[in-house]
Amino acid sequence: MTVRLTDRPLSVADAMRALEGRGLGGVAVFAGRVRPDPGPGGPVSALHYDAHRAPALRRLRAIERTARRRFDARRVVLWHRVGRLRVGEISVIAGAACPHRASAFAAARYLIEELKATVPIWKTERRRGSGRRA
Amino acid sequence: MPEGRVTVLLFGPAREAAGRTSVVWEVPAGGLRAEEVVAGLRARYPRLGPTLDSSRYVRNGRYLSTLTTRLRPGDEFAVHPPYGGG
Repeated sequence: MTVRLTDRPLSVADAMRALEGRGLGGVAVFAGRVRPDPGPGGPVSALHYDAHRAPALRRLRAIERTARRRFDARRVVLWHRVGRLRVGEISVIAGAACPHRASAFAAARYLIEELKATVPIWKTERRRGSGRRA
Repeated sequence: MPEGRVTVLLFGPAREAAGRTSVVWEVPAGGLRAEEVVAGLRARYPRLGPTLDSSRYVRNGRYLSTLTTRLRPGDEFAVHPPYGGG
């Protein structure tokens, strides 16, 4: 599926398969992982992501359509995990397959930046101490 | 139309500040302006204040351009703090 909000683990291998296509010589995939950021409440041990599902899916589809049109992206994946994620787990995958590398890089960059800025998804930090911070 | 309820959805920092995922808000038959519900949330959950100041608002899945829009019985009203995906 091109856009996805899921509570199941995300796989770069699955994304690469979804981006296969004849003549698509440029494939760019960005994957975001949960970092163990330090902080006063102790290092991050997990993140909890939640989304306003219907508007989020609508916005993801709109971003996908623009990436196809603007960058000639023939295949797109824009997947985000929701729920509780431990440090090291993949939270997001944004990938594009295009005939050439320059447009693939540009499309993948567009996908992840637009997702971060405009899709109603939030994360809350769970720290090794008791602290929480959004 | 009888009086009824608006379901207020809270996400991310708003959820953390209020300590709940949703609130049922009683409204009269003619509804309430969104700004009146936001003021009520601010009064009921003082920790929500800073988050409400930086949030966008969504009625039945559509962003509001003004908080003078009326919320009517049966509506869903969502508080969208700044997004944090990725």
